[in-house]
Amino acid sequence: MKTLEQFSQEINKCVLCGTCRSVCPTFGVVQREPASARGKVALCSAFLHNEISLSEGFIKQMNECVQCMACHKACPNDVNVPDIILAARAEIAKEKGLPLAKSFILKNILDSERIMPIAMKFISKLQGLLFKGVPEESGLHRRFPLPLIDERRVVPPLAEKFFLEVRSQGPASAGFKQGSEVRSKKNTLQPRVGFFAGCLINYMLPNIGEASLKVLEKAGASVIAPLDQLCCGMPALGMGDVETAKSLALKNLEVFEQYELDYITTACSTCGDGLKRRFKELLSDEGDDIQKRVEIFAGKVRDITELLVNELEFKDLNAPISDSGLLTPNSIVTYHDPCHLRRGQGIADEPRELIEMSGAKLKEMEHPCRCCGLGGSFNITNYEFSMAINRSKAEDIKNTGADIVATACPGCMIQIKDGLHQLGADTKVVHVIELLAFHLASPLTGED
Amino acid sequence: MLSPNIVKELTHIVGKENIQTSKEDLICYSYDATNQKFLPDAVLFPKNADEISLSLKLANKEGFPVVPRGAGSGFSGGSLPVEGGVVVSLERMNKILKIDTDNLTAVVEPGVITGEFQWAVEDLGLFYPPDPSSLKFCTIGGNVAECAGGPRAIKYGVTRDYVMGLEVVLPTGEIINTGTQTIKGVVGYDLTKLMVGSEGTLGIVTKIILKLLPLPEATKTMLAAFPNMRDAAKTVSKIISSKIIPSTLEFMDKNSVSCVEGYSKTGLSTDMEALLLIEVDGDSGLIEKQAETIKKVCLDYGAKEVRIAKDKREAKELWQIRRAISPSLAKLKPNKINEDIVVPRSKIPDAIIGIREISKRYKLINANFGHAGDGNIHVNIMIDKADKDEAAMADEAVREIFKLVLDIGGTISGEHGIGMTKMPYVGMELSKTTIDVMKKIKQVLDPKGILNPGKIFPQV
Ligand SMILES: Cc1cc2nc3c(=O)[nH]c(=O)nc-3n(C[C@H](O)[C@H](O)[C@H](O)COP(=O)(O)OP(=O)(O)OC[C@H]3O[C@@H](n4cnc5c(N)ncnc54)[C@H](O)[C@@H]3O)c2cc1C
Ligand code: SF4
Ligand code: SF4
Repeated sequence: MKTLEQFSQEINKCVLCGTCRSVCPTFGVVQREPASARGKVALCSAFLHNEISLSEGFIKQMNECVQCMACHKACPNDVNVPDIILAARAEIAKEKGLPLAKSFILKNILDSERIMPIAMKFISKLQGLLFKGVPEESGLHRRFPLPLIDERRVVPPLAEKFFLEVRSQGPASAGFKQGSEVRSKKNTLQPRVGFFAGCLINYMLPNIGEASLKVLEKAGASVIAPLDQLCCGMPALGMGDVETAKSLALKNLEVFEQYELDYITTACSTCGDGLKRRFKELLSDEGDDIQKRVEIFAGKVRDITELLVNELEFKDLNAPISDSGLLTPNSIVTYHDPCHLRRGQGIADEPRELIEMSGAKLKEMEHPCRCCGLGGSFNITNYEFSMAINRSKAEDIKNTGADIVATACPGCMIQIKDGLHQLGADTKVVHVIELLAFHLASPLTGED
Repeated sequence: MLSPNIVKELTHIVGKENIQTSKEDLICYSYDATNQKFLPDAVLFPKNADEISLSLKLANKEGFPVVPRGAGSGFSGGSLPVEGGVVVSLERMNKILKIDTDNLTAVVEPGVITGEFQWAVEDLGLFYPPDPSSLKFCTIGGNVAECAGGPRAIKYGVTRDYVMGLEVVLPTGEIINTGTQTIKGVVGYDLTKLMVGSEGTLGIVTKIILKLLPLPEATKTMLAAFPNMRDAAKTVSKIISSKIIPSTLEFMDKNSVSCVEGYSKTGLSTDMEALLLIEVDGDSGLIEKQAETIKKVCLDYGAKEVRIAKDKREAKELWQIRRAISPSLAKLKPNKINEDIVVPRSKIPDAIIGIREISKRYKLINANFGHAGDGNIHVNIMIDKADKDEAAMADEAVREIFKLVLDIGGTISGEHGIGMTKMPYVGMELSKTTIDVMKKIKQVLDPKGILNPGKIFPQV
């Protein structure tokens, strides 16, 4: 991973033109220069020139970035502002340590030996006590003050049973656990696809995991989901904890290397971006052997929409398109481009093709690529700010009049659901893959 | 440095949230697009003319500099606090106050982003033509202060042509209104025109009355590639003598385009020395014909290829090439000396060939592009400031270029303003008497010299 110092050339490429002010969502809310991408680059430059220290003001500005990459995309000089900011966060974490809340999340939830740590199980059982349901919504409001969760926030309940847990307990003949992995029923099919679940799908939205298995199998792949897989490490990296991210990358690499896989896929855009791009960066100083291995690993990673459309050439659902229920040929679906899919991985057409395959009508919102405001743990540490960014997204969605908003990232789904709820809109929020699986008789997340 | 007392009084005027003095904040208001830095002592975020008025009165009493600032996208250092003092950021005053669809006028606060205003009026079928390439992030206040122009100037004119009236806080703190809400109006001197282009040295603009036009029905965009630079330059006047005024006629030479990644994606010929980006607007039937005529003129006068955009998306791609040039030139060399000359349209070939010769003689890398339709060319000399010899050469070359431009009847700045970066050259274009008149005006309005000092000409 490059240090802030090593980014100084990148920082010098910035000519302070201000172009990024027009796309930066944090600037959009605050309307003051320090909140803009340009301001943040100027601050990093000042830090490297010893004009300022790792002051509170500096830390605040580095934290207030949702890592949406819009600035990098818009920058005529190709200045990678989000990565500069990540390097600054790593510098801060190294010198100042992580704030309490962040290290709690990391140590207890994300950096655990398995993707179903005891802490999460425990919370899952207790959540009835902690939260109360919101009528006709799948979200929850908290009952008691919790250190990390804002009062107004609607979060999906933790799943009764986590995705990998469910899958690890059924009979092998029905596509459940065999040894230390989950395999799909027809496990002789080619290609062989490793499924990277990711924390949000595993803990909160297992429906997406179920839907993914179903659709991948329908598309002719055999799926293997190792039970030892871990968090992708991107939340840790986002907080500046490079060491945790690195160790997670290494462990995940080892887990997936145990299987002969043609592809590794995920239905989470952030995980996918991390697996494709960040693992290589994180392990870049680990010696030739590991670098070669991670290169091969990264070369196999595909977002699930990309895998279906480009590799499996999945053109036809081959199932009756249901004409009742939540999704019918009359349903209008709008699509939100996750930052880490559109800008991180350059994928825009594939999810749209899949939406059309589901039989629904796609209606674009005005700014489909605008960030939903989640920004990883930014949503937890700066809830109000994060929702202020979300506001224009929620309004944009509402203005389409669509019945359903589909996206390709569980993080965006959670954020958008919260935003729509606050706006009083009843648009259902689903993952693209669920639209396809719906016709294969899976429930939609937006429904349960 | 400002005394704690002054900071206290300023805090009293704008409120605690709206004054910043931390080092981090000062750094973020120390630069503009010239990539130079001067730290202010404080940054104010007033919400109305009254707060600005009180602040300026205090500045007169205490004698500290005040520098207005929009988005900080200026190319001549206008918003840089070269003598320290207080930066007045207009970022908070960003409301569109009124769009009058009956009289085709609008009233805006200065911090409104130009592009956002354009989209807002376009939603109502109206049109605000001034379109600096920075329109997605610069402010209308900054446009007024610099009299910004853009590609559409050839057909529609520049910011000045759309400003009907202003509310201005004078350097001494009085608030005045200039101009009218009507198309005609001759009562007294035209103070509106005096304020437009005054680069934040004669007053802080707090409200702007703008003229609007009906939105043209359609536009057609095309890009023509010329293997020979002189042919491209000549084609500019040929198009106009064919009795078509395009809404855009932009010129880009090879060095400029080489830095833009988007160009290769268009699949247009790489065997080219210059490009023309041309747009016509108006009735959809008419522009179809005009586009064909222009295509023919281009091909007749040496274009190798002409690409007419099929749809909005393609047009946007062609535009993106043009908009990306200016900031991406840094790929040639780290520092840019960015001149913004204008010559009579027919003299464009002479100007460009002359500029190239001069750069060659001084062994400097030079990229030229700009609004050829109105003779406004952005001459960029790319240098490495660390290389002192090169920097000195560039200085010499700029002087020669300006001399050439003035000799053929041009001006040394079309739209970026003088600010601090062009200050040394003002005397080449304006006579001593002219400069003295301007200085007297400044002296009358700003007797203490507190508003944006160190700009345009050495201060009184
Ligand atoms: C990539 C790029 C492309 C550009 N293209 C063009 C172009 O095509 N055409 C063009 O004309 N310019 C162009 N510019 C230059 C710049 O965008 C314009 O000069 C613009 O008008 C500056 O607006 P701003 O809000 O950034 O003003 P600032 O840079 O903040 O300030 C500019 C000047 O205006 C004064 N000022 C700002 N607000 C007020 C106010 N309310 N009252 C009084 N004074 C005020 C400041 O003191 C300063 O002197 C470009 C700049 C960039 C970075
Ligand atoms: S990061 Fe890029 S777009 Fe933003 S100010 Fe710097 S050069 Fe301009
Ligand atoms: S990544 Fe997004 S939020 Fe962060 S600086 Fe860039 S545009 Fe702003």
